[in-house]
Amino acid sequence: MKVLTLLAPRWWGFRNDLFFGGRRSLIKAGSLLAVAVGFWVGIYVIFYRVLRYFQAVEEFGDLLAYKLLTMVYLTFFGLLIFSNVLVALNTFFLSQDLEIIHATPVSIGEIFAARFLDTLVESSWMVLLFGIPIFTAYGLVYQASPVYYLGLVSVMIPYLILAAALGITLTMILVQVFPAQRTRDILFLLSVLVIILLFFLFRFTRPERLVDPDAFANVITYFRALSAPASPYLPSSWASEAIWPLLKPSSISSGFYQGFLWINGLASLVVCAFVALWIYPEGWSKSQESGRLLAGRFLGLVPKQLRPRKTRRSQTLTLMGKDLKFFFRDNTQWSQLLLILALIVLYLYNYSVLPLDSVKVPTFYLQNLIAFLNVGLAGFVLASIGVRFVFTAVSGEGFSFWIMQSAPVSMRRLLWSKFLLYLAPLLLLGLILTIATNELLQVSALMRWLAPITIFSMVFGITALGVGMGAVFPNFKAENITQVATGFGGLLYMILAMGFIALVVILEAGPVYILFMAQARHHSLSFFQWLYVGGSILLLVLMNIAAVWLPMRYGVRKLADYEG
Amino acid sequence: MIRLEGLTKRFKQVTAVDNVSLMVAPGEIYGFLGPNGAGKTTTIKMLAGIIRPTSGSIFIDGLNLLKHPIDVKARVGFIPDRPFLYEKLTGSEFMFFMANLYGFNGAGREKRIQQFLELFELAEWAKELVGSYSHGMKQRLIMSAALLHEPRVFIVDEPLVGLDPKGARLIKRIFTRLKRSGLTVFMSTHTLEVAEELCDRIGIIQKGELLAEGTVTELKELAGQEAPRLESIFLHLTGAETESTEDIGFINQKK
Repeated sequence: MKVLTLLAPRWWGFRNDLFFGGRRSLIKAGSLLAVAVGFWVGIYVIFYRVLRYFQAVEEFGDLLAYKLLTMVYLTFFGLLIFSNVLVALNTFFLSQDLEIIHATPVSIGEIFAARFLDTLVESSWMVLLFGIPIFTAYGLVYQASPVYYLGLVSVMIPYLILAAALGITLTMILVQVFPAQRTRDILFLLSVLVIILLFFLFRFTRPERLVDPDAFANVITYFRALSAPASPYLPSSWASEAIWPLLKPSSISSGFYQGFLWINGLASLVVCAFVALWIYPEGWSKSQESGRLLAGRFLGLVPKQLRPRKTRRSQTLTLMGKDLKFFFRDNTQWSQLLLILALIVLYLYNYSVLPLDSVKVPTFYLQNLIAFLNVGLAGFVLASIGVRFVFTAVSGEGFSFWIMQSAPVSMRRLLWSKFLLYLAPLLLLGLILTIATNELLQVSALMRWLAPITIFSMVFGITALGVGMGAVFPNFKAENITQVATGFGGLLYMILAMGFIALVVILEAGPVYILFMAQARHHSLSFFQWLYVGGSILLLVLMNIAAVWLPMRYGVRKLADYEG
Repeated sequence: MIRLEGLTKRFKQVTAVDNVSLMVAPGEIYGFLGPNGAGKTTTIKMLAGIIRPTSGSIFIDGLNLLKHPIDVKARVGFIPDRPFLYEKLTGSEFMFFMANLYGFNGAGREKRIQQFLELFELAEWAKELVGSYSHGMKQRLIMSAALLHEPRVFIVDEPLVGLDPKGARLIKRIFTRLKRSGLTVFMSTHTLEVAEELCDRIGIIQKGELLAEGTVTELKELAGQEAPRLESIFLHLTGAETESTEDIGFINQKK
């Protein structure tokens, strides 16, 4: 019973958030649900269409569907292990309530059982959420009987237990070697590097060539690889072997692999419990000792003008310097720069391998069209980075926000210091994305100037929108800053930023087309065309000013009224 | 030096502070007492400019806080009840950061920072991240930073929470010294001995209303009893005296 008691706060917290949070909380939950349903439907449609397409492919359609299933299970397994390790670090070692729990007369076994279930649920719900539409698509495309769906439940339970047990055991061992806090940092950095590596591996194999009939010789080699069996030692292979026969009408029994999964799932649970009872108390005690961290790491990356210490400088520079130091001292923040760097490389690589010659449209026209659309795409990339870094900038003050509230610093100055800090790197990134792409596409002189100027002016709006909206929806109590980006305010920021970018692109499209065609045909513009172009430019300028001024002004007002 | 006029704060249906008016003279230490949830921290937060009053005015050093927030804040040193600080800064960096924020660029600022770090026994830890500090160390660091820019008014919410006896004695000495140099202190506390020992005048708040104020002697007279200690006066005025007679025998009762 104590296990249920230990699990109760999580459930109660969830219930209270929902029912006592008022209308705002319900709106938030509703919006998140809508997004989840959107994703759900999207995934279902994609998989349904892909599987239908595979079915239409004679001979090896089934083989492709089977391979896709093993890939799904393998990907899920990797994700599950990783997320279980991260979640277990929190639930078993870093969570704030552990101190109270360990002081109560609850046995280690009971704490383990409760935290195991906690970890299992927290790290598996996402996989289940994304898995359901995929498996439903399989079931419907193959017109599977109810046995398939029952089998699915029977496979998923030991599959998830197995991943959780492995992840938690790994965490217990890791914490014996490194302090809990450091383990999280190391894992985070490793995960970033692994994601980058996977990105590159996937992208550089150029999967788009598979749709090119000229590359068919390679596809045969590819299918030879496809028909090779997956590793028999991986639980993901056991899961796909257990599920696949249930999709076929004349199915051979999947009982062996189901049984194998259950036996291994339960065995892993026993091993995990044994390891936990053996080393968890010591690991928990160790995690309480690791306090002192050495400061100054990565400080070398901070520009000298913004470094701390003895310089006397304005409040704005002081605030910017503080934020910059925070960034470079937080491994979860600066390491994401590596991801952005990888993103830029892949972004530009994509443009460098565009098969423009094979499309039956004049290359010159197409190159410029793509370069123009690239402005919107680059804006989208900047907004995505903005939601993670700029939108969260105000919330990053955290519980220490009282210092800003009680210091002789106006909220205007605070917000503008954050605006200035993030403006420079976003401008640089925007210019790199547009100028380098223009070079790769060999665009016209008009586009060569237009794209960077547009992105340059747009970055001001994207940054101001991020800072301003972050001030309108601050969350100073978030344990993890990424929660802030994925919350309701972050979603609204993305919608508004996308709307702003789309409006800029739409407003520019008409005048750009007129100018471009006039240049291509060596015509001069009529008076009305000049009027149209001039009017559009004026409107664009006004819109950009509004995108900076309005969110910043509103943000300053809301933040000044913030009473936590 | 501090003047509150009809200060009121409402949170939806709840009136946390109800029409509080009081004055604190320059060089005076004013103790703000009250049971939990009486409205002490809300009043202090309004004084520090963290939350806005629903109605009423706050004057500090003759300036209206609502009209001149930046000028007023520059004259105030504030210490909250919970020491949340920038965990990724070192102690020394935090001091320089606060000095810049408060525009304290006077001569000898580095020396003054060093002196404060030594006074509060933080010099040894000055190059360590604040995240690795204990609760008491964080409290002492906030205290150093709040005094750094030579404020004219010191607003403190529970100054002794989390401090060991040595730290508590140091704070008492500092308050006495500050008072002598003309600094005004407005502090809330639960430690009635400290209030009795340090404060020139005391205000007692309950359910958002200022029940009584005056020197300890005046409060004794107001309570109409020969109460030897502030605790008895406090319990009498807040009506908590009767509660203490309630039956608590059940605590150790065998089932």
